[in-house]
Amino acid sequence: MFRQILWAQWLAARLAVAILGVLAFAAPLLAVFWGGDLRSAGSDQVAYWLQGSERIAALLPYLALLIGVAAGFLAWSPDHAGRHVYALSLPVSRARFVALRFGAGAVITAVPALALLAGAIVASLSVSLPEGLHAYPVQLTLRFLLASLTLYAIIFALSISTKRAQLLTAGAFGGVILADLLLAAWGVSFSVTAETLILLTTWPGPLSILAGAWTLFDV
Amino acid sequence: MSNAIETQGLRYRAGKDFEIRDLSLTVREGAIYGFLGPNGAGKTTTIQLILGQLRPQGGTISVLGRRVPQDLPAILAETGYVPERPHLYPYLSVNEAIRYHAAFYVAFDGAYADQMLGTFELPRDRKLSRLSKGEMGKLHMLLVLAQRPKLLVLDEPTDGLDPVVRRDVLSALLDFCSRGGATVFISSHLVHELERVCDWVGLLDRGRLVAELPMDAFKNGIKRIRLVRAPATSIPTPFEVVSRGAEVGGEAWLVRGWEPPMAQWFQQAGAEVRAIEDLDLEDGFVELLRGARGPAA
Repeated sequence: MFRQILWAQWLAARLAVAILGVLAFAAPLLAVFWGGDLRSAGSDQVAYWLQGSERIAALLPYLALLIGVAAGFLAWSPDHAGRHVYALSLPVSRARFVALRFGAGAVITAVPALALLAGAIVASLSVSLPEGLHAYPVQLTLRFLLASLTLYAIIFALSISTKRAQLLTAGAFGGVILADLLLAAWGVSFSVTAETLILLTTWPGPLSILAGAWTLFDV
Repeated sequence: MSNAIETQGLRYRAGKDFEIRDLSLTVREGAIYGFLGPNGAGKTTTIQLILGQLRPQGGTISVLGRRVPQDLPAILAETGYVPERPHLYPYLSVNEAIRYHAAFYVAFDGAYADQMLGTFELPRDRKLSRLSKGEMGKLHMLLVLAQRPKLLVLDEPTDGLDPVVRRDVLSALLDFCSRGGATVFISSHLVHELERVCDWVGLLDRGRLVAELPMDAFKNGIKRIRLVRAPATSIPTPFEVVSRGAEVGGEAWLVRGWEPPMAQWFQQAGAEVRAIEDLDLEDGFVELLRGARGPAA
């Protein structure tokens, strides 16, 4: 049963996953594009190279976000299109069906992470690092996978939630933006949006995985 | 004999204009039950309530001796459902759709599905998004029949299909029923289509069950009787007067539960029977609806 759900879900998501997988594979390779043999390079040169590498790595949280959002939406979009009539006629409890769908989406989310791992390993092997600098392909991949899964879980839950819950979520976002506009109109130099983002992206905020170190190379 | 479907006092309201009111219907095991009603009568809503897709605001539902919604997975494991509009995933091929569906049903008969693919001339590798409406209807029927269900719930399964496909689908259904003894609950507004296959009829109008009776009684027990010197409405009758109306030279009564000896009742009441007319099924359906919508004149 899970295999069939996974296959059906893969068919729905494969194009998006393939594109994002290629980007995930390419990102670490781009990060070492200007590298090569850095063992005899000066510290300024290494620092400059690391900065370039980090700029590329900074795109990875956004990529993880895109993967999570795509996998979350595509997990339910075929059922949404059919108003869930077919899914509800199948002889499994709703909770089990949701669990199966979630599991299948989680497996699909792992595909770009595997592509990232492959790209990160190739990138790590293609550059000779100076002493004291190390490559962390597995750690980077785990962070990427966890970030993708977190975003996937949020979008998955929103996507299957009731209209009311979706409206409440949209209303909360709208409220934050409206509060900012009102504060700006009254000349108050306080951003609710910025504070909310900080709250969400700093531990124990649910999106804290997106912040922090995303570099493939570190001391 | 136990009942395959039983609802008691079922209530459901959607918006201001639509309501299922105290719907109590009984589908006996092994019956082929035609669920008739005009468009918008509430047939699809009733089916969705029976299959647990909608939550009723009152009443009880039992299917195959189990309660809805408590025992839903067990009920659905033995129930084949063809919805009004196809809802299968359009990006799957015919083969993939069969494999997907089969994964959920222990009793799924793969050999039968293969055989039906040939009978229905369905292309195995074609995506569902590229199937015609008729091919989609056939595929749906194939899937539910191969489940080997105890109960088939078909919501307008042949609506919009051409006559050839319609015949193929109904033949497959009848063939299945003749082999297995499954109960079939089939909704339609195509009266003549149900006449061929059903042995029981339920008539729904504006969310109310207007009539529920064996098909024979529906076909033979409804008559239009043309009378001179019609008796008063207050006199009790041995049959049910669905409607009565004036016409040139007398009155026309639409009666239900008619049997030939009842003609004597009119003579005793001082009326003269000019004609007793059989109604075809569609006329009977229309007249029953009219009778239900307005009080007998």
